[in-house]
Amino acid sequence: MPELLEVRDAVAGYGGGPAILDGAALTVREGQIECMIGPNGAGKSTLLKAIVGILPLRKGEIRFRGERIDGLQPHEILRKGICFVPQERALFPRMTVRENLRMGGYVLEDRGELERRIDDVLGRFPILRERASQLAGTLSGGQQQMLSMARTLIVRPTLVMLDEPSLGLAPMIVVQMFEIIGMLRAEGITVLLVEQNALMGLRHADWGVVLDLGRTLFEGPAAEILADPRIQDLYLGRRSRAA
Amino acid sequence: MSDALQILILGITLGGVYALMASGLTLIFGVMRIVNLAHPIMIICGAYVAYWLFNLYRVDPILAMPVAAVFMFGVGLVLYQLVFAKEAASAKYSEMTVLLTFAVALVLDGFLGALFSNTQRVTTPPYATDAIVIGDLFIPTAQLYAGLISIALIGALVVFLQFTRMGYAIRATTQNRTAAALLGVNVGFISLVTFAIGVALAGAAGALVSFVFSFFPAKHWEWIAVLMSLVVLGGMGKLMGTIVGAFALSIVAAFVGTYAGATWSTITFFLALFLVLLIRPQGLFGDPIESA
Repeated sequence: MPELLEVRDAVAGYGGGPAILDGAALTVREGQIECMIGPNGAGKSTLLKAIVGILPLRKGEIRFRGERIDGLQPHEILRKGICFVPQERALFPRMTVRENLRMGGYVLEDRGELERRIDDVLGRFPILRERASQLAGTLSGGQQQMLSMARTLIVRPTLVMLDEPSLGLAPMIVVQMFEIIGMLRAEGITVLLVEQNALMGLRHADWGVVLDLGRTLFEGPAAEILADPRIQDLYLGRRSRAA
Repeated sequence: MSDALQILILGITLGGVYALMASGLTLIFGVMRIVNLAHPIMIICGAYVAYWLFNLYRVDPILAMPVAAVFMFGVGLVLYQLVFAKEAASAKYSEMTVLLTFAVALVLDGFLGALFSNTQRVTTPPYATDAIVIGDLFIPTAQLYAGLISIALIGALVVFLQFTRMGYAIRATTQNRTAAALLGVNVGFISLVTFAIGVALAGAAGALVSFVFSFFPAKHWEWIAVLMSLVVLGGMGKLMGTIVGAFALSIVAAFVGTYAGATWSTITFFLALFLVLLIRPQGLFGDPIESA
């Protein structure tokens, strides 16, 4: 039985530049929240971009439910059931909140069903309901992040990948983001999360992956990674107790 | 007073035609960042379709309009695949398209010139020289028809963009190409279709222009400047801005033409372009330009 998402020996870079991913590997299990950590420039965002087909792989393979998906276009990846929320949030600034949600269900053929799902999402996020006819570009950073995460609920994908959802947000809003991630999991959606705030990310995750210099250094249960003194020293910003 | 009303009506009808002429240009720029310098020569292609259908088969240019639009839609599909599809991923795409579309304009200009020569033409349906007289008001019928049909077409375009699934996809691709792709929009296909729609709009505008202005292949050089000034005034790629800009400038040009002489009316467009670039370079409806 293949795992939900498997990345093997991924090599990728931008243009003709050096390889940012240099043999990265990743396994995502169905129903879990998986958190990817690592320093700046480790290749975390690049790996997510390679998975959704924004960036082509130079080597390696990506499988979703056992089926090769590397080489597919982003719009084809979405139809497979993978939804990606990039760091820059990918909203349409001159469309209203409701129109943004409608775009979230672009692949749904049934318009009635789409409107029902939009109402359902607006019901769960009262702030978005209040601002349904406001242009997305005029929302605050936290509201924009909420909208882009809420929008993934419209397509009901198998896997949602979030690239640093807490970036630039106030601590209280960050707590809300993790509540939404919990909401996604409760819907049966698997979550792959890249998080700069590694402690916070791992605490909310089942599984953790440590990436550095484009390679996967370590993966295992999130609790184990949190407890591992080497990883604490290097990536969790904690001083070693001996020092 | 009736003088002013008369000029206003002429300005509005002309504004409609200019708005239609520029709408395809702004749509193509908005979605694909293609600065289509060949847009005006495509309008002239549409004008020739209407001209020959009228002169050979007595087809009214208004009825020839859909034919010109469909024909130019096909031209747009082929042209996009041949010239523009390959480089779409390039970082310097916009800059490259200026040269590519300029080349297309030169080729079409030369081709039409060889085929039909550079003599002035105008389609002459029965209403071409008529006018509607209401009291003191004198409205040339041809200009009125062209203006009203243009306004109706632009209305249809706006409804299409606002309310259809493909309209959503086109607007989404305009605003954030990557985000649209991530939500399942085939942005390559949307680019192709949008380009063809833009060229079809040029064709439709050409059919109307053919009985409002006299035209010949090299006339497009003059229109490039006028249409670019409308698109820049509205904010590059913003359809609403272009429409508002077209009406505003045409009305001002009509007043200038009446009170200062016809030679001065064209200068209105360039003076407006000059002022916009000085005072508000992002255009009336554009997003603020980010400092690099």
